[in-house]
Amino acid sequence: MMRRWALLALGVTLLAALPLVGDELIIQYGIDLLLLATLAQSWNILGGFAGYPSFGNSAFYGLGTYGTAIAMAQFHLPFSVGLALGVVLAVACAILIGVPILRLRGQYFAIATLGLAATLAALISNVDIAGRNIGLILPLTHNETMFYEDALALLVACTLTVWWISRSRFGMGLIAIREDEDAAQVMGVNTTFYKVLALALSAFFTAIAGGIHAYWITFIDPASAFDPTLNVRMVIMAVFGGPGTVFGPLVGSFLLTAVYEVLAASLSTAAALLFGLVIVLAVIFMPRGLWNLALGLRRVGWRYFMQNIQQHKL
Amino acid sequence: MLFAQLLVNGVLLGGLYGLMALGMALVWGVLNIVNLAHGAFIMLGAYCVYFLFTIAGVDPFAALPLAMLVMFGVGYLLQRFVLNLIIRSAPLNTLLITFGLNVTLTYLAQLAFSADFRIINPSYAGANVTLLGVTIPLVRLGAFITALILATALWVVLERTRLGRAIRATAQNLTAARLYGVDPAHLYAVTFGLGAALAGAAGGLYGVVSQVTPYIGATLTAKSFVISIMGGLDNPLNIVAGGLVIGIAEALAAIYLGPTFVDAISFGLLVLILVARPARSWRLK
Repeated sequence: MMRRWALLALGVTLLAALPLVGDELIIQYGIDLLLLATLAQSWNILGGFAGYPSFGNSAFYGLGTYGTAIAMAQFHLPFSVGLALGVVLAVACAILIGVPILRLRGQYFAIATLGLAATLAALISNVDIAGRNIGLILPLTHNETMFYEDALALLVACTLTVWWISRSRFGMGLIAIREDEDAAQVMGVNTTFYKVLALALSAFFTAIAGGIHAYWITFIDPASAFDPTLNVRMVIMAVFGGPGTVFGPLVGSFLLTAVYEVLAASLSTAAALLFGLVIVLAVIFMPRGLWNLALGLRRVGWRYFMQNIQQHKL
Repeated sequence: MLFAQLLVNGVLLGGLYGLMALGMALVWGVLNIVNLAHGAFIMLGAYCVYFLFTIAGVDPFAALPLAMLVMFGVGYLLQRFVLNLIIRSAPLNTLLITFGLNVTLTYLAQLAFSADFRIINPSYAGANVTLLGVTIPLVRLGAFITALILATALWVVLERTRLGRAIRATAQNLTAARLYGVDPAHLYAVTFGLGAALAGAAGGLYGVVSQVTPYIGATLTAKSFVISIMGGLDNPLNIVAGGLVIGIAEALAAIYLGPTFVDAISFGLLVLILVARPARSWRLK
């Protein structure tokens, strides 16, 4: 146990030291990667542990983005105040939307969240202070290292939270909801409160990631802030890695982003095509994610793949 | 008069929306797969009709059966050899695999057909009739009527034929259907193929009234999704009604609220419906 912690601490230290040696391009990739991993990890809180797949997390991302941008561009407030505003907006939205929508179960919840981002984007593009559909320009800072360290710190905080959840009474409650919601309720789990809290936590980290990204990119508009494909990416990274585990979403997002960048560098258009094929094959051969694959390979070797197909085919 | 014109526009568009959603609702109701590649099927159907029209000179409406046949084949093979492998996996996984298929098909189309805008433009594309001061474009009327015919045909197949009974039986109880001699691997593939064929027909009609690119799929999937929920999965004619509601709501919203609200309106309606009556289960009866 101690050795594992030491190894993790070493890994984080090495990542934190990367700006000392890496060139600017590496750092930029790094920021992107860390923010995406944070998104996958925060999606994991509700989607992985409670089994409620949210397609509305990009709305929280957008609110974090806009909170930061409005504070900094319109009121010339510092970055931290902007982040706080973004978080307040996103968490308030999560609670307001969560209470009615989380009454829906599983798939129907997923569907109801689908339109959240699009609806907010439409509303925002009619608000003057948010720059309507033209967008906002944030003050420029050339400090890639700061953004990198912020993103890393956020990912570490988010992962620690998920680790705490995985061992806490709260996390057990979420898993109970995922396995059998009626039974969980009978056993005294306050399901509505647990689900809304999970959604709010998810919104909290997602909004900060949005805020960091906005300040880093310095320009936002409704289409980029509420980009629905971003939400699909978080789901895929988390599910690919292993939903409901602490490290699965991290492994998934690191690996998928790396695969995608390598493909994009060498193949351009065909990259997206192969990306699609990778997902199809992954679902067929390792439906419980990379994390489970690693465990399964150790246990039964290559028969793991055939077992999966045997179990899930018609 | 503006209002009447908007209403007519909405109804004509809504019929086509209904046809788009039919295939998705069928697959969802019977196989319990929310097919995120549905829009990609619509897109492929549109390209089928486009190439039949531009290369072979086939009238787009006459090309529809051919496009449906091609898409039936695509759907049948995909279900038989890919989706049947994971059909008992977690619902999130079927969502994920159809998303992967959607990405694959979209970029295959981009490689094969390029990202150019395509318009299926028969000689009568600009023709319209004016009735009581309301203008009705003929191609849209044709698309609307075709959509109604196909929806009725699906209803007849489901209610009156042996195949339809097998499909409904499987949706209700797979084990019992098996005991009565239904081969589920084949039946699932046929159902998925039917869904793809309906998507193909919708795509051909969409190509006639609008523009086709490899990327039209995503929004059309989302619309089909909303309409499937609104109509429920038990009756094809309800799906068409759901399509009409969305079509009319969009046409009115574009003028009275502003064009930015068009996409928000269908989702707003969806959330309202889901929250108002969440307890319903969406399975084919």
